[in-house]
Amino acid sequence: MVDWRLYEPLINFARKRSMWIVSFCTGCGGIEMPPLMTSRYDLERFGMMPNPAPRMADLFLITGYVTPKTLKRIIITYEMQPDPKYVLAHGSCPLNGGIYWDAYNAIKHLDKYIPVDVAIAGCMPRPEAVMDGIKKMMELIETGKADGWKRYKENYEYYKKNQDELFGEGWRENRKKMDSMVNE
Amino acid sequence: MIETALKAFLILIYATFVGFMFMGIIRIVTARIHRRVGPPIYQPILDTIKLLSKKSNITHGLIYDFGVIYALGATILALMFIPLGSMGILRAYGDLILITFLLEIPMLGIMFAAMSSGNPYAGIGAQRALLTLLAIQVPLGFAIVALAEFYGTFSTYEIVMAQQTMGWSIIHLPLLLAAIAYDIVLQAMFGKEPFDIMIAPGEISLGPMVEFGGKHMGILQIQHAIALFGETLFFSNIFLGGAAITIFGSSILNTIATLVVLLIKQTAVLMVATFIGAIFPRFTIDQAAKFYWKWPTIIAALGAILASL
Repeated sequence: MVDWRLYEPLINFARKRSMWIVSFCTGCGGIEMPPLMTSRYDLERFGMMPNPAPRMADLFLITGYVTPKTLKRIIITYEMQPDPKYVLAHGSCPLNGGIYWDAYNAIKHLDKYIPVDVAIAGCMPRPEAVMDGIKKMMELIETGKADGWKRYKENYEYYKKNQDELFGEGWRENRKKMDSMVNE
Repeated sequence: MIETALKAFLILIYATFVGFMFMGIIRIVTARIHRRVGPPIYQPILDTIKLLSKKSNITHGLIYDFGVIYALGATILALMFIPLGSMGILRAYGDLILITFLLEIPMLGIMFAAMSSGNPYAGIGAQRALLTLLAIQVPLGFAIVALAEFYGTFSTYEIVMAQQTMGWSIIHLPLLLAAIAYDIVLQAMFGKEPFDIMIAPGEISLGPMVEFGGKHMGILQIQHAIALFGETLFFSNIFLGGAAITIFGSSILNTIATLVVLLIKQTAVLMVATFIGAIFPRFTIDQAAKFYWKWPTIIAALGAILASL
């Protein structure tokens, strides 16, 4: 067998320089993405591409506040992505609720439900701050410290408990049932 | 026997490498047109390494795996038939039609895989790809007929050799018309705007590609690189004169000079496609089919009629 550890620096370099983004643009952070992707700040210099398909994504951007309804979709999308996958939370809302700190209908701590690798504070963070976060993410990937996908597997009981507390037991199965009812 | 296998292997390595460089060039040129810096030229290689080194992989059954390999195999087979200068691993009478056919086959493989995944977006994308495939057949057929009628042969190698004495195909009026039609068809075969209806990111989220991830997508990237090399090489062979340089004494120098001349011609073909792709928006599928059955068909049919006179 080939010892793949030998190629680990090359693979990490490739992972660092070729992050394909799935962005969950429900919050106000979505408006910061166009200048990042286009001529003004041009993230494609670092090999990052916006990508609509979660199956080939590496970096998952949560741009703004998360409600229980969108959190279900976020968890499903996160679990669809192949390992290794990284999450970048964007703005203060996924960190501690932000201006929705007392809202009944916003998630206060995103990293109770899925592991967050890098969080950018600010309301809203400007594109420079997002680029700083991405640079941090690149450093973490190169040193192998961006291990959210490992933590999700190891501590799946914890995350599942929190998700079930919020949505009730068997929410995945119920959602599938409701989806199939809508399709029929 | 071993020599042929070695030659085929070297051609494959060369085609893959140059194909990846072409993909990088497309991205850089598009970025410069947008006034961006753009990624480095080796970016597609990094993408492929990353995709092949994914730790988990999703499969949807045997056909899903088979379709990807089928696409790669068909592309490699097409590459082996296209003469690279005076080199060519496989050669048969009538390979003009065979190569044209083989260059479209990969799309069918990708569609097998996409349809078997059961994703609705992949289904829509596959339908659109089939319709595009159907739309480009008519002008493509006329262009090939014009070519065969003009040179009186169906062999790609003989067409390349005939151009060494008669001049490039595009200096003759009937073949110029055929070349224009074929170039418009090439736009759809590359999957560039305005005919990127089948992948349409942002509209049907990459269409057939939506379920591919990890190693499947990595193999498809390699397939795309080889297909890009093969399609541009085929166009420069049949319309831009190909290359068969024999002025140097040593055969190695001749081969290198041939490859360089071919590379320049291929890059020119690629640039035309990239420029057109960067400035045009996307057609809808009915507009594309109507367009293909009208203008390129008329041009190519005129070329075929003129060639047979």
